[in-house]
Amino acid sequence: MSQDRISPAHGVDTVALDWALRMADPANADWDAFTDWLEADSGHAERYDRAAATLLEAEEALAAQPEAASPIVIEPEPVRRYPLRWIGGAMAAALIGAIGVTAWQDRAQPYAVETAAGETRRVPLSDGSSVTLAGLSRVELDRAEPRRAVLARGEALFQVRHDAQHPFAVQAGPLALIDLGTVFDVRMGRQTRVAVAEGAVMVDPKGAALRLDAGQVVAVDGDRLVRSTVQPEEVGGWREGRLAFDGAPLSLVAEDVSRFLSRPVTVAPAIAMRPFRGTIDLDAVRRDPAVLGQLMDVNVRRAATGWMLEPRE
Amino acid sequence: MPPTGLEAVFLANRDKLVRFLTVRGAGDAAEDLVQDLWLKVAARIDGPIGNPLAYLYRAADMLMIDRYRARRQEELREQDWAEGEGPEASTGAERAVAARQTAERVAATLADLGERPAAVFRRVRVDGIPQRQVAAEWGVSISTVESDLRMAAHALAALKERIE
Repeated sequence: MSQDRISPAHGVDTVALDWALRMADPANADWDAFTDWLEADSGHAERYDRAAATLLEAEEALAAQPEAASPIVIEPEPVRRYPLRWIGGAMAAALIGAIGVTAWQDRAQPYAVETAAGETRRVPLSDGSSVTLAGLSRVELDRAEPRRAVLARGEALFQVRHDAQHPFAVQAGPLALIDLGTVFDVRMGRQTRVAVAEGAVMVDPKGAALRLDAGQVVAVDGDRLVRSTVQPEEVGGWREGRLAFDGAPLSLVAEDVSRFLSRPVTVAPAIAMRPFRGTIDLDAVRRDPAVLGQLMDVNVRRAATGWMLEPRE
Repeated sequence: MPPTGLEAVFLANRDKLVRFLTVRGAGDAAEDLVQDLWLKVAARIDGPIGNPLAYLYRAADMLMIDRYRARRQEELREQDWAEGEGPEASTGAERAVAARQTAERVAATLADLGERPAAVFRRVRVDGIPQRQVAAEWGVSISTVESDLRMAAHALAALKERIE
């Protein structure tokens, strides 16, 4: 992946964050290289400070309240009604009151759409594009900037009205994309990847600038982008209740399938990496998850929270 | 008595540390800061350390991060005053509630990434466990741990952007 960039969708400075992670790790810290990077641009020190402070403040909050780990309360929209500040300002947190909120709303009108497990939803955008969300997914949008989207979780199919002057930008974790006239699917989770159904997409436009045409896939593997291919008609096949896999590990298959069921499917560690080839009929699995057993040559056990795939004896 | 151990390393690398502090944001104050740094480190350490030079660099780095955070805190306070909100505008209880809400969103953001990335981030960054060991605990490669950390850092920075 590329180096010098600030990802567009959220103003998140991935380069500075990478340095902040690396310099805190004695096994990876290269102080000469870091000094060179700082010297290259007088703005780098402040960017690094900001990233390092962000991480430290989050960690201090976690350390102070370890019990806050379990409940996951997701607000449907990030627009807040109460004054809230990042922890760095926590000492002064309640001081800001409504003033800060108003100023912030002038700049952007963010909203988020999310789906429950088993639900899919199509979200039309004001520019004529649309986003279709798979289950357990969340996309963050901004009415002030309809040509940008952040996939925060799960999977979504983007059907973009192309405008060469104003490319549609998607951020999915570490992956930045812009459309080149396009239908494409983006998923996050154990693996972040983009697959193109029609037209083309540019991955990491400010760095690698890798062009993907219909039928091509890129997955993020650590620092690397790994290319593969797919039948274009299978991209977004989940909208018709179909999930096709070509050698994906069972853990990934289970994560994908779980988005479309009311209860999650998990995989015993012993077979989590076993590759799976085939197409899954989601309606059939919804009716009876046991059909996964024949398809994948596993035992399907009813577990407390959902279904567990285990090796056959 | 000639300087030994950490002090010898400090003296041998003083110029490099000054250069580092200069570009790290200290500018002309780097000469003074390197002296402060040494006094702090010398007061804190009384035993051998594995990699003294890396330790000195990290101490200098942390010194600058602390100064940045103190400066930010001051700016926020001034901004609040300028906006007519004095310290009496909030009680300790309100501040505690706000801090707790933020902490819960931090925890929820991590939890959203999945069990392993959330746990890896806590083990490495909060508990201070070496990445190699955390990778072994989860039976994954170092590069997977690195990518989990990067994903968590990205999500936390995005949360901060949303909150600010």
